[in-house]
Amino acid sequence: MRHRAVVTGIGLVTPVGTGVAEFWNRARAGSAACAPLPEHWRLYYEPQSTIWAPLPSHDFSAFDISRIEASQLDRAQQIALACARQALDAAGLGYELRDAKKNTFAVTGVDPLGFGVFVGTGIGGATTLLSTAVSHVGLPLLAGLDHLRRRLAEEGTSPDALAEIEALRSGLRAPARFDTFAVTRAMPNGCSAVVGIKYGLLGRNATCAGACAAGTIAIGQALRAVRSGEMTLALAGGVEYLADDWGGVFRGFDVVRTLVRAGDDPARANRPFDARRSGFLFAEGGGSILVVEELEHARRRGAPMIAELLGYGETFDAHSVMMMEPSGKHVERMVRQALDDAQVTPEEIDYVNAHGTGTTLNDETESAMLRRVFGQHPLVNATKGLVGHTIGAGGAIEAAVTALSLRDQTTHPCVNLEEPIGGLRYVREQGRFRMACALSESFAFGGHNAAVVMKEIRP
Amino acid sequence: MTDYSEIEERVVNVVAETLKADRGRITRESRFVEDLGADSLDMFSLVTQLEDEFSATIPEQDAEKLTTVGAALDYIRDKARSAEPPPGR
Repeated sequence: MRHRAVVTGIGLVTPVGTGVAEFWNRARAGSAACAPLPEHWRLYYEPQSTIWAPLPSHDFSAFDISRIEASQLDRAQQIALACARQALDAAGLGYELRDAKKNTFAVTGVDPLGFGVFVGTGIGGATTLLSTAVSHVGLPLLAGLDHLRRRLAEEGTSPDALAEIEALRSGLRAPARFDTFAVTRAMPNGCSAVVGIKYGLLGRNATCAGACAAGTIAIGQALRAVRSGEMTLALAGGVEYLADDWGGVFRGFDVVRTLVRAGDDPARANRPFDARRSGFLFAEGGGSILVVEELEHARRRGAPMIAELLGYGETFDAHSVMMMEPSGKHVERMVRQALDDAQVTPEEIDYVNAHGTGTTLNDETESAMLRRVFGQHPLVNATKGLVGHTIGAGGAIEAAVTALSLRDQTTHPCVNLEEPIGGLRYVREQGRFRMACALSESFAFGGHNAAVVMKEIRP
Repeated sequence: MTDYSEIEERVVNVVAETLKADRGRITRESRFVEDLGADSLDMFSLVTQLEDEFSATIPEQDAEKLTTVGAALDYIRDKARSAEPPPGR
């Protein structure tokens, strides 16, 4: 027997807002995140892309994360906890304090053995790893510089030389100490582990590393687990935090020329599917976690149903770690697999939330593939035009948008789309649309492609 | 002049917050593990929080010896006493 799965709760942390209400209002209004890069990143490197999409806040204490807990967690892990809490609340799942000292909870009224956690991430706690390396090497170096400066001062060296040492010293932005929690903050599986620990969830606990498709892959894994009966419920989605204090992760994307050029009008530079697109907008981070729940279980407890999770497809390019396979045949294979799995025809898809990064190759390949498979019927938009590219969180944020679009029968517009490519039916303004089935797709560095298919809940 | 009662106050604050311990239960004699319920993760966190609070470095071999509130307090006092004055020019 094949169980059916529904989305009953959503949590969001994005550069355009935290929580469904704030995010969805701003997204539908076409509000896009964009700001100049942190100035101090230029101490180390002159960037080609000079803008990014920062998070509005790093304070996740509203989601029951104490200051001490936060000091032990990577920001990606804090985002996972913030999203999980929102999703549980939205799904009407209650919890009670399990251990006051550890500040952990137990979800009430459900079997914890049947409650899984599937979280996607591109780099996990890599920013912690970077800061660990800097403190490990940098702190002895700073101590050495201080010693040298004192000695030279005593010996009466010229003020210029001392000033030069001082400049070197202030350029070395090392953390104050080596991080005792370096390993547990850096490990990618920390993202799903901290959620399972916080809420006492004893079901399958998996972190899916799949770069820009990680969030979509995690939701697909959750669907399969619920469908097979292995799990009754799952917290599933993706999280990412990309901003180390030195801009090192940013530089990794910038040097391979994947990022948007700010040009004369930075606020309008991020333009997926536009002829004048130049790359993707680097996001500081973000996340979304969905409650994926077996349909009858959701019915029995009167849970709010946002959309049905109908199908999942996943393929691999075997082409290049960095470049999309340009014919698009493997992303097409993936989309057809997702449709088959959902048992719907291409004609039944009314809305596609595209990967839509804004790079020349992605948007070219993706729009041509969508036109081949779906023609001009479905509405198409690109959430990365609003929030930038959150890597492992992107697919999950876009799945959240897809579910909310089906629930509300409206979606957000494409922004900065002046000369659309590919002849697709792009969403140009906010409005009421008829959408029964929708697809959300992601294509990743490495060559992993994944999509989920969702269906509206009919009253 | 270092104000020792102020140091004591700050150490107790760090212990109370990190171990979620009732301030009324914290005395000089309180053992972190046996009396205040700390596990090894809490002990790592406690040392980290003391380092941050007092802008100090506590080497691992010293951290191992900090098993009671009094030991931590004496250690921080000694650190404060022997700290070099800030470089002035």
